[in-house]
Amino acid sequence: MALMPKLHDRVLLTLSCLGFAVVFSGGFLNHAQNRLAKGVAYSLFQAPAYEAAAAMAGLCGLALASFVRDERRHAFATILAAALILWGSLAGAGHFAAILMQAGTPAARTSLGPAFWILASVAILAIVDAVQRGNFGFPARACIGAAFCAGFLAMAAVGDFDHLALAREFSNIRGIFATELWRHLGLVGAAVIAALMIGAPLTVLVLRKKAMAGFVFASLGIVQTIPSIALFGVLIAPMTKLSEELPLLRELGINGTGPAPAILALTLYSLLPLVRSFHTGLSEVALEVKDAATAIGFDARQMFIAIELPLALPALLSGLRVVTIQAIGLASVAALIGAGGLGTFIFQGIGQYALDLVLMGALPVILLALLANLVFETLLGLARRNL
Amino acid sequence: MLTRRLFLAGIASSTTARAENAAPPVAVGSKLDLEGGLLGEMMLLALGEAQIATENRLRLGPTSILRAALLSGAIDLCPEYTGNAAFFFHQDGDPVWKDAAAGYARAAKLDYEKNRLVWLAPAPADNSWVIAVPASLAREHNLRTMEDFASFVRGGHRVRLAASAEFVESAAGLPAFEASYGFRLDARQLLVLSGGETAATMKAAADGISGVNAAMAYATDGALKALDLNALEDTRHAEPVYAPAPVIREASLASHPEISDILKPVFAKLDLATLRDLNEKVAVEGADPGAVAREFFRAQGLLR
Repeated sequence: MALMPKLHDRVLLTLSCLGFAVVFSGGFLNHAQNRLAKGVAYSLFQAPAYEAAAAMAGLCGLALASFVRDERRHAFATILAAALILWGSLAGAGHFAAILMQAGTPAARTSLGPAFWILASVAILAIVDAVQRGNFGFPARACIGAAFCAGFLAMAAVGDFDHLALAREFSNIRGIFATELWRHLGLVGAAVIAALMIGAPLTVLVLRKKAMAGFVFASLGIVQTIPSIALFGVLIAPMTKLSEELPLLRELGINGTGPAPAILALTLYSLLPLVRSFHTGLSEVALEVKDAATAIGFDARQMFIAIELPLALPALLSGLRVVTIQAIGLASVAALIGAGGLGTFIFQGIGQYALDLVLMGALPVILLALLANLVFETLLGLARRNL
Repeated sequence: MLTRRLFLAGIASSTTARAENAAPPVAVGSKLDLEGGLLGEMMLLALGEAQIATENRLRLGPTSILRAALLSGAIDLCPEYTGNAAFFFHQDGDPVWKDAAAGYARAAKLDYEKNRLVWLAPAPADNSWVIAVPASLAREHNLRTMEDFASFVRGGHRVRLAASAEFVESAAGLPAFEASYGFRLDARQLLVLSGGETAATMKAAADGISGVNAAMAYATDGALKALDLNALEDTRHAEPVYAPAPVIREASLASHPEISDILKPVFAKLDLATLRDLNEKVAVEGADPGAVAREFFRAQGLLR
């Protein structure tokens, strides 16, 4: 039995098996005569040989790495294998698409199939798992992340992805993509700032007047239960009325459609998680600490700035994180009420049955949410270290 | 010294720019759908060719949102369909909307009197609701018109129609077809999609998803040909006419009265076949709507 290597990382082996299963059963690329046609599925084994071999070698590598006991070696082996899978599937898809597109008309579309998406997810999950188990410091994590991003951008720059349907759709919206991205960020930014400005005094009110807490949380809770599309829609009528009554609002461009109702709706959704986490954070500051501070002569203002705020900071940041990520996702719906943003591409794509166009809206939303998560994780790490 | 001169020059140029464009740019909006975006691109292009400053607010949202934006002044100009005026003014029972000229005149009159919105010359196309069936089914059972379809349904053949909730419920939609042609589809013969995008209904009929073999579509849908679907002719004009026309705020038209003459030749060229072809380039080939509009202008000699 001593010869039998011992399994060290079950998650990794599962991921590797999932990768093998999907490579053998699922379509890697789908090639259709046009955007609406059904198309033919191709497997990874029909892709150019080097790229396919790299992806398969990477999957074997993951399986082997799951038996490596030393955490550092385990992490390095996993990251290397995952990098092979990522390169193999990305370059495989891109180069294979170029070959398939040579034969077809310009209207033909080569889309990424389930096998591609699962392979890519397997690789990314393996990397995240390895980084966490390897217990890398922040600089090492940043370097690993930057290296993968740089690799992806380099492949995009040399035109590896130009023949994929996603890139074709992107080239159509290239002119307006940046505008809609900024609109999206503008909606999120405005809503989070507005929620902070309303949420902070509301938290103080709830902390001071305990009797109010039930009422405030109940009303914010009700807002949270309204489906997003309904809330966006419901705000149109009163805001239109308001801008008809108040010329000042009208001149500022605030009316029933466009960014104003969208920001209002996003702000309303942000209030409950924000106030709740602020409330929890501030009320959980230990009484002993506060007593000690009072004993050495701190007044209320000093107490807040020197004791309560720093101690509650992690909770406050967690609240902001939840609210920001939620707003990034919800802002997609704003496209339906004339506020623009990345949702425009999602709804256009749904309307035209162009799933790659949907992805051009959805993928950036996901990436933005991940990026926001990363930023807040970093800030949280810093805040906790300073305690 | 150099920076100061540049600074002054900058002020000078910005003030002259302001003096030249005394009127604010014309904000052009459209619905989220494909044809809306395409017609909007054409308006932007036509106004740009005539040196009128524009603001791109295309693909704003669904009909109700675009309408609210136009009424509130958030946009100045957008494409709209004559048949939709029936819903704006709650007159969808009136037969006037089934006549292209009379419907247009009614829409123009009502909207000007109530909202000071001016309907400019419409396109000679009718983008009304149609029922489309797979070409193979049409050949097999000789289905060309809605009359053929009605007798097909009455004959007890298997029919399942994919349609939006709006089409199934609105008096001007499926009920109008059923009343005019004398047939009736029960709940089991309908697949109702609440979103009601024709791309989804047509895809269902083309691929036979959930047993669907008929689809709600728009007459000018660009995907009909690619999905090998035949639109059945509405010989008895059961449906209101949906002719696309530019609608502009009176104040905006007053500062640029030439817009009426600029858009007239563009819309005059948009008949059913042309619109369907242009929509097809976007829907099926995935071409950029702006490029399709420009190519159309070039082919028609509308570019300067």
